[in-house]
Amino acid sequence: MSHVRLLLAASLSLTTATLAADVGQPAPAFSLRDEVGTPHTLAQYRGKIVVLEWTNPECPFVQRHYAGKTMQRTLASFSGKKVVWLAVDSTSHNTPAKSKSWKAEQGFSYPVLQDASGEVGLAYGAKTTPHMFVIDDKGVLRYAGGIDDDPRGRSTAPTNFVEKAVGALVAGQPVSPSTSDPYGCSVKYGKSS
Amino acid sequence: MLAGWILSLLVAAAPAPAPTASGGLYEGKPRVHATLVSDVTQVEPGGTFRMGVHLRMARGWYIYWKNPGEAGLASEVVWDAPRVSTGPLAWPAPEVHRSPDGSITSYGYGGEVVLFARARAQSDVQPPLTVVATVEVLVCEVQCIPARFELTRVLGVGPRQADAAGATLLDAAAARVPRTPTQAGLRVSVRRTTPFVPGQPFEGELTVERADGSPEPLAPTDALVPDRLAGILSVQAVGDGPGRLRLWGKASPDGSSSPPRMAGVVVLASGGAVEVSAPFELPPGLVPHAAAASPPVSRRAPGLPWMLLLAFLGGVLLNAMPCVFPVLALKAYGFARTVHADHGSVRMHALAYSGGILASLMVLAGAVLGLRAAGHAVGWGFQFQEPLFVAVLSGVVLLFALNLLGVFELTVPSHGTGTLVAAVDHAHGPLRSVGEGVLAVVLATPCSAPLLGTAVGFAFAASAPVVLAVFAAVGLGLAAPFCALVLVPGLRQRLPRPGAWMERAKQLLGFALLGTGVWLAGILGSLAGVDGVVRLLAFLVVLALVAWAWGAWRRRPVLLGGLLLVLLTGWVALRFGPGQTAVAGRQAWSEEAVAQGLAQGRPVLVDFTAEWCLSCKFNERTVLTSEAVQSALARTRTQLLVADWTRRDAGIARRLAAHGRAGVPMYLLYSPARPDQPEVLPELLTIDTVVSALERAGTGPGSVGLSTSPSPR
Repeated sequence: MSHVRLLLAASLSLTTATLAADVGQPAPAFSLRDEVGTPHTLAQYRGKIVVLEWTNPECPFVQRHYAGKTMQRTLASFSGKKVVWLAVDSTSHNTPAKSKSWKAEQGFSYPVLQDASGEVGLAYGAKTTPHMFVIDDKGVLRYAGGIDDDPRGRSTAPTNFVEKAVGALVAGQPVSPSTSDPYGCSVKYGKSS
Repeated sequence: MLAGWILSLLVAAAPAPAPTASGGLYEGKPRVHATLVSDVTQVEPGGTFRMGVHLRMARGWYIYWKNPGEAGLASEVVWDAPRVSTGPLAWPAPEVHRSPDGSITSYGYGGEVVLFARARAQSDVQPPLTVVATVEVLVCEVQCIPARFELTRVLGVGPRQADAAGATLLDAAAARVPRTPTQAGLRVSVRRTTPFVPGQPFEGELTVERADGSPEPLAPTDALVPDRLAGILSVQAVGDGPGRLRLWGKASPDGSSSPPRMAGVVVLASGGAVEVSAPFELPPGLVPHAAAASPPVSRRAPGLPWMLLLAFLGGVLLNAMPCVFPVLALKAYGFARTVHADHGSVRMHALAYSGGILASLMVLAGAVLGLRAAGHAVGWGFQFQEPLFVAVLSGVVLLFALNLLGVFELTVPSHGTGTLVAAVDHAHGPLRSVGEGVLAVVLATPCSAPLLGTAVGFAFAASAPVVLAVFAAVGLGLAAPFCALVLVPGLRQRLPRPGAWMERAKQLLGFALLGTGVWLAGILGSLAGVDGVVRLLAFLVVLALVAWAWGAWRRRPVLLGGLLLVLLTGWVALRFGPGQTAVAGRQAWSEEAVAQGLAQGRPVLVDFTAEWCLSCKFNERTVLTSEAVQSALARTRTQLLVADWTRRDAGIARRLAAHGRAGVPMYLLYSPARPDQPEVLPELLTIDTVVSALERAGTGPGSVGLSTSPSPR
């Protein structure tokens, strides 16, 4: 009996271990098309710092950050540095058309990768929208967590963890913090994924 | 600017002060309703009362607990009541929500919930008392909608007047708030079974017991709802028998400034819940003694540098072990001769000695790797399980002893001047230093010093380069004291001048080596019985005869004939059959015997030992057979089992490996309360540690300091 339980525990832990990307380990490879059909792979951005932003235009937390232009301003602060910003939408009912109209509405430039199957989201262990991942120029995951330390949107000067992480990587410093609790709506994965 | 985001999303229903509001509009309908409730309509100055927010969610919608889990946002209530002090918010035990695919777990409340606080009106509280509760929740079904309420209620001031409806609601909510273990009459213990390494997985266990030590059954699923834990990225639990949860999770890659704690709610099978707030207890035996003595380092993971340091210190410590000391003494004697020679030659001796040690340890490491690859159950001291190896070693020790006693001398004949001093000088050439290094290693292996056990256990589970590195570190440690003697000039001057005393000292050391031979014969006896010992002694007599003949007639034919005779005798005599293994008066270990003892409700102590293990023998003589321990064994009705590893035994090797050990001694103490989690006692036992461990095992596991945080009931 206890052996069965142990086995169960072991297999569960195996599942969770395979379901989350680890900071300090190579980031899971992916190959996804964006809202206009252009393919993107992690490998093609080797040599650059890659920021992944899990997003969902229906989520109030995402809406708040776009209303406040948090993502656009964070990306702008990296100008002149080799940084690639990719939004990823793992919402099971999302469509490229929806991403396209939202992008036009918000006026941002980076692609929105289409992951309706949830495969890449689960590989990274993306739990919330927004949920941020920063990958260094060698493909190693260096930060996973929230965009900032202000879940309730009350602070006048929140600490932007992604800005900090990219700054540290550019300066060749260790990233600290390398994780934070992501906050927001849960990623709306489909039942089958 | 951001502060207004929620307001802008809300079409707030009631701007006018009111105790009730609705919000969380989705498709035009509010999804959450909130009411400010109190158990009084009139507050007495200086008196206590309760106030809360009654939240009702639309069907299928839920709000979040203080730890929202992997998504969501904690609910929040901020009180504003002039001249009233309010306590912390009380949270009824939450429900566990999972996303449809099961990948996201969150904690919250569907249906309805009352989040409340105890309050005390100050004596100068002014009428009328206006209480304002600012509530912020995220209400989710598939979509998530933030909602913010400002609820206002006016209470009278004067003699206390109860609000029956409010009191009923608050009483019901209070009944759902997890009790502290003390209130529930339970003991909650949390311990980890693996170290916390930043970014790495860890494992542990949580037990809930009643006052009488019997386990308290837990909810079959989702029995643990963890709070946010500093230094811990995630933790999960699965039931592991009554009252037990097996925990596993991952430590935060950024580490933690304080030792990790477990906090959260444990749900009982009875439907109730208890609060957990306890540091992770460290299982005894996980950190070796020496590491415990230096907390800043022991806090860190047993990484490679730390293991190498342990191995080095272990090597240094081996110099003082009874099995190596004769060699060191011998070396010190040889050193007393050479020290007064020129510095260059002294250094060469030191190098040769270190080289001998390192080379033989590398050979040993190579053998270990080879045998491990071949699938053998290999452990530290494994050579001593081979009777032939022991016999050959006895021969080497005898030759050294005879040499020291002056029966023969190892001089190069053409250079022989005949004087004693010259002979000794030659006998202590660099080559001899190498040989002494080798001998030191060979004799040192069974003395599995406390530190060495850990380092070597680690090494056997590690990759080949790591094994080599650990063995090299042991070697450097073994050679260090002698090298220090040579390379520090001050120490050198303190050595006594040579003289006739040296010859006497040399002979004395010869007898010490003969003593080592007796010990080796004892090992052989335990491996191959009396017959084996007789065969060994016969072989040794022939060997001694040949050595004497070589000393008396220093001719080449004598040497060749002698060697032939030794080989022939060895061929005939050194064939060892299996000896008797069971030792009278001690019950032999087996996994079944352990299970049987536990089934009878008795603790079980297993002594993993071997004849050639001096540390084991020391522990047995001074601690395990002591009156205090014997009476503690009887008092706790503990079953003592002996796992004898004198001969190779796959079952024992597996059990050792299961606890990260590659050699003996190891002491496992099983408690009937936790049959799957034996306590590993330290390698160097003391009467106190054993007696207190036995008492723990006999009366159930020790409990951790429990939560003392304020609770509403």
